[in-house]
Amino acid sequence: MGQSAFRLSGITKEFPGVRALDDASLEVLAGEVHGLVGENGAGKSTVIKVLAGVYQPEAGKVEVDGQLLSPATPANVHAAGVRFIHQELHLVPHFTVTESVFMGQERRGPFGLAKREMRKAAETFLRDTLGLDVSGNRLIRDLGTAERKLVQVARALIDGDAKVVVFDEPTAPLASNEVDIVMGAIARLKAQGIAILYVSHYLSEITDICDRVTVFRQGQTVGVFDNITADSAGDLVFAMVGRNITDMFPPKGDRVVSDGLQITDFTDGQKFAPLTMSVGKGEIVGIAGLIGSGREEFVDTLYGLRRRKMGAVSFEGADLTITTAAQAVRSGLVLVPRDRRHDGLVLSMSVAENVTLATLEDNAVMGLENRNAARKATLAQVQSLDIRPPNPDAITRLLSGGNQQKVVLARWLSTSARIFIFDEPTVGVDVGAKAEIYQLIEELAGEGACVIVSSSDPVELQGVCDRIVVMTRGALVGEMQADAISVDDLVAATTGASSVEEIRNAS
Amino acid sequence: MQAEAQGRRIVLEIFGFLPVIIFVAVLIYISFNAPNFLTLRNLELVLMQSLPVVLVCAGLAAVVMAGGDDVVSGGIDLSIPATAVLAAGITAQMLSLGYPLALCAAVAFAASMIVGGLNAVLVTRIQMTPLLTTLAMFVAVVGVNNVVTASRRINVDHPWITVLRAQEVGGVPLGILVVALLVAVIFFALHQTRWGLNLQAVGGSRDAAEISGLNVNRFIAQSFILAAFSGFVCGFFILARGSGSSPGVEDNLMLEMVLATFLGAAFSPRRVVTMWGAILGAILVAAISIGFKSMGVNVFWTGLIKGSLIVLVVAFSAISQRVR
Repeated sequence: MGQSAFRLSGITKEFPGVRALDDASLEVLAGEVHGLVGENGAGKSTVIKVLAGVYQPEAGKVEVDGQLLSPATPANVHAAGVRFIHQELHLVPHFTVTESVFMGQERRGPFGLAKREMRKAAETFLRDTLGLDVSGNRLIRDLGTAERKLVQVARALIDGDAKVVVFDEPTAPLASNEVDIVMGAIARLKAQGIAILYVSHYLSEITDICDRVTVFRQGQTVGVFDNITADSAGDLVFAMVGRNITDMFPPKGDRVVSDGLQITDFTDGQKFAPLTMSVGKGEIVGIAGLIGSGREEFVDTLYGLRRRKMGAVSFEGADLTITTAAQAVRSGLVLVPRDRRHDGLVLSMSVAENVTLATLEDNAVMGLENRNAARKATLAQVQSLDIRPPNPDAITRLLSGGNQQKVVLARWLSTSARIFIFDEPTVGVDVGAKAEIYQLIEELAGEGACVIVSSSDPVELQGVCDRIVVMTRGALVGEMQADAISVDDLVAATTGASSVEEIRNAS
Repeated sequence: MQAEAQGRRIVLEIFGFLPVIIFVAVLIYISFNAPNFLTLRNLELVLMQSLPVVLVCAGLAAVVMAGGDDVVSGGIDLSIPATAVLAAGITAQMLSLGYPLALCAAVAFAASMIVGGLNAVLVTRIQMTPLLTTLAMFVAVVGVNNVVTASRRINVDHPWITVLRAQEVGGVPLGILVVALLVAVIFFALHQTRWGLNLQAVGGSRDAAEISGLNVNRFIAQSFILAAFSGFVCGFFILARGSGSSPGVEDNLMLEMVLATFLGAAFSPRRVVTMWGAILGAILVAAISIGFKSMGVNVFWTGLIKGSLIVLVVAFSAISQRVR
C-alpha cells in the first residue's frame, strides 16, 4: 500500500443548470479497499463516469498508476487496467456461465470456438479468484443473484489485466445472506493486490470492508477518513448529511388519530418478509429504506399492482382485500406512483382528461363521458392546487414536474379516497412545489385520511411524517417517532450504520 | 419459498413443452387415421416438402437470435418468404425470356440483397420495429414480384433446377443434401463461432452486448442479410417443388415459417429460438400439412387448424416468458 492506484483531482463537471462535481477529488491507493459514500445526487455516479472516460470534466486531472490520462477515454482507462462492475448485471439469462464470462472476448480454437478451454478458464477463475464453485455449463437464469454478480465480476477481470476494480452498489439487489458471498470475493481480490473502489449506500458494509473512505456531498469531497472501524459510521453520516434544512415543512397540526388502516403479516412471498404496521386516520406514516429494501414492492403490493402472498389488510376494522388497482381505487385506497410519467399520467392527454380518469363514471351520462362536467370539476381542482398554467385543456406533457405531480394529486383528491399512498412524492419536483405538496399531505391527514409516504429522502420523511418505519433488505426492522429523531438517525437506520433500537434508546 | 419456486419451475417446464406435446399428439392421431403416413416413402415426401420452409426458418432463426425473441419488439423478418418468391419469380421470368441461368440467379441474388439491406437500414438506422418494417416489406416485395411475373404462373423446366427435385445421390434426394449442407454451415456459424455467439448475446441482452464492446447494430444488420440470403436460396427450391413460379406461395410459406420457428423454441433446452429447433419445427409443420392432406381433410379446415396452432404456440411462449 502507499502508491496511488488512481487519482482524480480538482474535477469539475457541469450539466445544464447543475454543477454535478465542484472541485472534487478522489484517490485510491494500491492494495486498499476504498469506500465512496454520499447521498443521492452527491456526485458519486458522475465521478465514476469521469474516471471511466464517459464524461469529460470541465476541469481537473485523471491519473491512473501515476500516468496522466488527458483526456481519459473508455479505451485508455480500460488499457490502464481499470474495470467497472456496474450496478445492473447485464447478463443474458439463457447463456451459460462460460458464455457470459467470455462474452465479447471469446477464445478461438482450431475448429470454431475453444469451448472446453474457455469453460476450464471460467471455472478456475471463479473458484480461485472469486471463491465461487460453479459449473461453467450452468445457465445464468438458474443462478442466484450473488452468483450472477460474481459472473459479472469474472467477465470484467478474466483477461487478467485488472489493477483497479470499481464496484458500484454491488450488494443493492442482494438478500442479506448473499452479501457475504460478494464481500468474500472482494476480500480475495484485495489479497491479490487489486485496488478497489467500493461505492455503496450500506454504511455497515463500508465500515466492514473498507480501509479508507471518501465522503461526497453536493459535488464536493467533504472528507477522507483513515482507520475505518465499526465506530466510524457516525462520522460518515455526519459528513454525508451536514446541511441546512430549509423551512419547507408545514407545522404538524394537532390531529386526532383514530383506528384506520391495519396491515397484518403482509407479504408478497418474494421481495419482502411478512410485515405488520398500522396507519391511523389522521396520521402520516413514513416508510424509509434504500433501493432494494422491498419498500417499493410493498407499496405496489398494497395497491394491488403485485400479487400478495398472504396477510390481512383492514380499514376501520372491516376487511379490505385488494387484488387489483381498480379495486383499490373503488375501496378508497389510492397511490401517487413514483414514476408519474409512466404510471401516473397519460402525458398526451389534457389536464382535465387526466384528472377525471378515475372518476369518469361519476361524470358519465348513460356511459357517455360528460365533458362539460369534467372540465368544471377539474377547474375547481386546478385553482385550489394552483396548477400552472391554470387551464384544464393544457396538454400534460408540457407541464413542469411539480405541476404534473399536482395533476396526479388532483385526480385522487376528486375521488372519495380515504387512504393515500405517496411513493417518492417529490422526486424531480422543484422546491416551491415540494412545499405545496407537503402542505397538501398535511391537509389530507388533517381531514382524517390515512397517509403513507414511502421515500428515499430522509429529510422529507423526518419533516413530514408522524411515525417512520424502516425497511432493510426486505424486512421491516423497526419504527420511530419522527420528532424524537434527527435526519442523521434516520440515515443511520436505513443504511445499517446503527439499529433502530440503538437510536430509540439514545433518544 | 424454495420448494415453491421449484414447483413453479416444473410447471413452467411443462408449459414450455406443451406445443411439442400437442404436435406429437396430432401426428399420432394422423398416423392412426392415414395408414400410409408413417411409411419411409411418405416421410421422404414430408422432408422434400419441408425444404423451402426449413430454409426460411433458418434465416428467421438468425434474425430472432440477433434481435431477441419478444414477438412484438424483438427480431423478426416476415419478408423472407416474399424475398424467396421474388427470387423465384425473377429467375422464372428471365429463364422464359431465354437468359442463361447464371445471369438469372445473379439478378435474383442482387434483388434479395436489396431487400435484406433495406430491412437492415430501416431497423438499425431509422429504428423502426422489425415486425412492422418487414411486414411492409413483405407486401411491397410481393407487389414487385407481381409486376415482374404479371401475376401469372411461369413454368420452369431448366435441368439445373429440376435436378433439385428429381436427382438422387446415394438414394437420398439431392435437394435434401443441399439443404442439409447449407443448414450445417449456418449452424456452425451461429453456434460454433465467435460471431455466432456474439450475435446471440446481442439478442439475449442488448445492454450486456453493448457493455461487452459488441457493435449491436452490425449484428442485427447482418442477421437481416443472412435472412435475405436464405430467402434467395429458398426461391430455387420453390421453383423445383412447383416446377415453376406461381403467385400466392408466399402466404402459406410465411405462416409455416413463423409457426415452425417459434414452435422450435420448445425443442431447445434453453427454451429459446434456435437453428435446430426451427428446422425440426419446419419438418413437423410440413408433416402435419401432408398428414391432413392424406387424411382427406378439407383444405379450408387446414388453415383454421394451423392458425389455431400458431395462437397456441405463441400463447404458451408468452406465458412461460411472463412467469420466468
